[in-house]
Parts: sequence; C-alpha cells; structure tokens
Amino acid sequence: MTIRFVALVLGVALAVSGCASLQETSDGDPASGASASSLTERPTEITREMLIGRWGVASFREEKDRARATAQARSFCSRQPYDITAGPRNGVMMHAADDPKLYELRLKGASDGKTYLGFEAPPGDWQDRVILSASNDQLVMRFVDPEIHNRYGTFIYVRCK
Amino acid sequence: MRFPLLLAFFASLAAIPAVGQGRAPPPETMDIGDEPGRVSTAETVIEDGPYARQMVFFRTNEPPNTLVIHTSERFLYVVMGNNRALRYGIGVGREGFQWAGLQKVSRKAEWPDWTPPPEMIQRQPYLPRFMAGGPGNPMGARALYLGSTVYRIHGTNQPETIGQAISSGCFRLANGDVIDLFERVPVGAKVIIRHGPQV
Repeated sequence: MTIRFVALVLGVALAVSGCASLQETSDGDPASGASASSLTERPTEITREMLIGRWGVASFREEKDRARATAQARSFCSRQPYDITAGPRNGVMMHAADDPKLYELRLKGASDGKTYLGFEAPPGDWQDRVILSASNDQLVMRFVDPEIHNRYGTFIYVRCK
Repeated sequence: MRFPLLLAFFASLAAIPAVGQGRAPPPETMDIGDEPGRVSTAETVIEDGPYARQMVFFRTNEPPNTLVIHTSERFLYVVMGNNRALRYGIGVGREGFQWAGLQKVSRKAEWPDWTPPPEMIQRQPYLPRFMAGGPGNPMGARALYLGSTVYRIHGTNQPETIGQAISSGCFRLANGDVIDLFERVPVGAKVIIRHGPQV
C-alpha cells in the first residue's frame, strides 16, 4: 500500500493553547496550500493538551454553514463524540482521512506561521491537517491535500462539556 | 487502501431495513450508503442511453405531477398528461432494501445536509458526524423527502451508479436531473413506488 493511501489520514486535531484562542489563518484556499517540503518546523503555541479530550465534530464548506455546523458538532457530544487521546510519543491519537485506524499524530509549527497536525514529516505535508483556529473549546482545521479537503470540507471540533 | 475502504462502505451502509408494502418505516437514520465527500457537480446529467431524461409514452390514470417510481426498471416517471411522462434513470435500493408504497413529497431541500448513521460512524470513525450540504455530500444537489419515511429522492455524488441497485432504499438521480425534477414537482405531489418483477 502506498504511503499516500496509508496516510490519508490522520488527522487532525488541534487545539490551542491554554486559554488562548488563536486567530483563524487566512489560508482559505486549499489549492494554494503550503508546499509540504518547503516549510521548516518552528515552535507552535498549540499544545497537545489543547487537543486531548472529547469533541463533537462536523464539517462545512461554505461560510454560511459554519454556525450551523458548529451547533451540530456540539449536539453530537451526547450521541457520537470523538475522543482524542495522548499518544506514547508526545503526540495525539487520531484518525487520518479515509482510514479507520488510529495513528499518533503530532503538532508541527511551521515557517509559514501555521500549525499542522500529522505524521512525522515536514510541516505542511499533504497528509497533514492545517489548524485554522484553536481555542480550548473549539478547533477548526482542514486537510492540506486539496482533494481530501474538497471531499470533506472544513472540520469543526467543539469540546464536549 | 482508500478504495477497499470505500467498497466496504458500499457493502456496509445498510442501516435501513427492508420495508414491505404497508409496514411502518424504521426511524430516520439518513443512511444512504454513499461515498461521502466525493464531488459531483450540479450540472451532471445522464446524457445517453436508457437512463437519460426523456419524454416517453406512459399510460396512466394518475394526474399530472404524480411521480411513479418503478424500482425494478430503475425509472422514475413524472406524469405529464395525455399518456406521456418524463422519465429519469434512477439508482434504487439493493436487494432487501427495495420497497413499495404510496407517499407524498413532504419536503424539498437544496443541497441537503447529511448525517452519517451510527453504523457508518462505527466503521468509519474518521467521518464528521454532520456534513453540511455541498458538492461533496452524498445526498447530492437536491432532496425530495417521502412522507415521514427515512427515504428520499435525492441527487448523488456518484452518477455512475444510476441504473444500479446499491442504495439503502432511497432513490438517486444525477445532480442535474434531480435539480430538474426538484423544479417540476411541488411539495404534496403524490409518489407511487412500485416494486415488481421486471417485464
């Protein structure tokens, strides 16, 4: 199985640090997503503790659907929450796209000022998710790969209370 | 890895049990057995062959705007009067998920949202629990809801499945065709679903 297939995945998680809320990045065009190999890794304000926990998850494509998707994500806390747990190597255990297996993903700050979540690879790798915004209560992220992003849209994670 | 998983998808999305004529429908689950996230544009229509939209001779006593679905033929007819009907190719429920009955169009929606059923989430835990409507949504461009059942006439992001029996009981049309149907058929329209041997 190819790396692409194996990887499709992972994903995502994100969360942002402490009580801080990171502003959403302007990276709205997945086609212009970072070239995976051109970015260098930098520190990130987002910690894995911000990702760990129980979340409601929904996705949307158009801005007009964001609020509705957020409300739906919250509503799924009581029905089908998504758990992000700590991984053994300082990452988080999550799924990649199209793969039901859990993988350990790690947060990767990048020279473009963004934070990515993915496998051991340079930040911005095609299998990564880019964190668009993060707070203790809500994470917004999307897949770097335009094809995957096109299929799933932007993910909203709302922390379950 | 992706394609076997998607095949497993098809094989597994069967949360809607078969419904015989006159039996109460199961609770709504929105299980339509599709490939979430795949994109099919609103312009997609079936252009050639028997499943292309076309006017046909259709003998019936039903009034215009009645929908008649022939599951075994894979056709949906919109009665036009004067023994004519507009015929669309459709995808139907797979074996055990086909049904018959009399319903009305209870609601219509553009680019409907999609909620994967719990069984699908179990198998594909990476899916969002809710996907807002859009081109990648397996419900496609439009949906016509059938009474209070779990079933719909909807679009699809897999137009190549028109003419096949792979759904969980819903009826799917190519997005361009379901948009055409959506604009012709009002809420309240009578829908006759026939499920009989092919002639």
